[in-house]
Amino acid sequence: MKTRNAFQHEEVFVQLIREQKERFYLLAYSYTKNEQDALDVVQDSIQKAMLSLDRLENVEYMKSWFYKIVVRTSIDFLRKHKRLHVTDDDTLQYLTPAQEDIYENVDLEHALDELPIMYREVVILHYFEDLKLADVANILNIKLSTAKSRLYKALKLLKIQLEDVKGETAHG
Amino acid sequence: MDEKIKELEKQYNEVSIPKELDFVVENALKQGKKKRKKRAPQWLLGSAAAAMLFTAGLNVSPAMARTLSDIPVVGSVVKVLTWTEYKVADDSYDADIKVPSIENLDNKDLATTLNEKYRSEGKALYDDFIAEVGDLKAKGGGHLGVDSGYEVKTDNDQILSIGRYIVNTVGSSSTVMHYDTIDKKNDILITLPMLFKDDTYLKTISENIKEQMREQAAASNQEKVYWLKGAGLPDEEVSDEFTAVKADQQFYISNEGKLVISFDKYEVAPGYMGVVEFEIPTDVLKNDLVSSMYIH
Repeated sequence: MKTRNAFQHEEVFVQLIREQKERFYLLAYSYTKNEQDALDVVQDSIQKAMLSLDRLENVEYMKSWFYKIVVRTSIDFLRKHKRLHVTDDDTLQYLTPAQEDIYENVDLEHALDELPIMYREVVILHYFEDLKLADVANILNIKLSTAKSRLYKALKLLKIQLEDVKGETAHG
Repeated sequence: MDEKIKELEKQYNEVSIPKELDFVVENALKQGKKKRKKRAPQWLLGSAAAAMLFTAGLNVSPAMARTLSDIPVVGSVVKVLTWTEYKVADDSYDADIKVPSIENLDNKDLATTLNEKYRSEGKALYDDFIAEVGDLKAKGGGHLGVDSGYEVKTDNDQILSIGRYIVNTVGSSSTVMHYDTIDKKNDILITLPMLFKDDTYLKTISENIKEQMREQAAASNQEKVYWLKGAGLPDEEVSDEFTAVKADQQFYISNEGKLVISFDKYEVAPGYMGVVEFEIPTDVLKNDLVSSMYIH
């Protein structure tokens, strides 16, 4: 019985990965900020997931279960590689190629990148990956209330005023 | 929904998906399936671990390396080979990092230490490069290049001198050299201080280099310029004057048994002079030298 479950799980899993691989890649990239590393994270996540596929009880949870694996693998990766590059403004200016000043969206340019990870991941999962706040909380292993407050803080940091927060109205 | 969130989402989705993603995903799925079918991934892990132990053993355990090197395969000729090469070729990002490896040195500990150093430095250089490219891309792109490799400066019966260079290109380029000089007969790594009786060599060498700098500047009609008063530049333009060589200054021993002191680009001269070298006449050194075994 269990083997059959596992077999079905595998089919569903393969399909999910094939359909959504770009989404998972983007999520990994939002942590690693590097193509090669993001690919590594995707690869590791898939292999980890397949080894513990049998332990997944309900196929319905598969997507958020896999998001969770990607998030953890990404964070593990960052921890292992401790890539903190502190660059002073002068060097930055020197290294950054001369660009035409474009004023539209100037405050949005890189706004997301500059957000600390703990806020950025909430925004990405909730708004871009369309997940319910409860699922976001589960994926990030935090309480629902924490997820909510991080989302508000993130929006505040992004200086975005919303009439309504999507999570409250659209997802209930 | 707020326009700004939409805009951010657009940016998020605009990250380009590498071509390799399909391949990586399919491969991971295939590997994953295989492991699951086996239902005993333990033995796979086991054999992988054994293979790793074997490789690691060669590098780490002198005993194992010795046992293996006793099996006659090729004559024990000390060789320098390219152990690995990291390559990135993109429109605006290039990396070419060649990592050398010293083979067949009787002193396996020495060979291991050097090779491990070369490998970890090569890997670190590559990792840094990739991280920097990632940063640059995130900030809107740019140009970046790193070229690293090695050249065998001297390889005779007595001496093996390897110079490793790193050229970083960000607009202008900087070059850094690292030398390792090995006594092949006695299997020891030669350092600059051990060639001399005491510290006076620092002064002797420095004074000789200053002399050479001034001579070169005069002889080349000020085309060659050094950061030293009287060596091509008006005194007031010499701000960071060369005073003395460091105790661990980069050096190698030439095929003729001469000591050559090397300075990185910008270290003692303007950038266009590149990496500069000074051969120190043995006459100048002979009172300070411990013996004339290496330098003569």
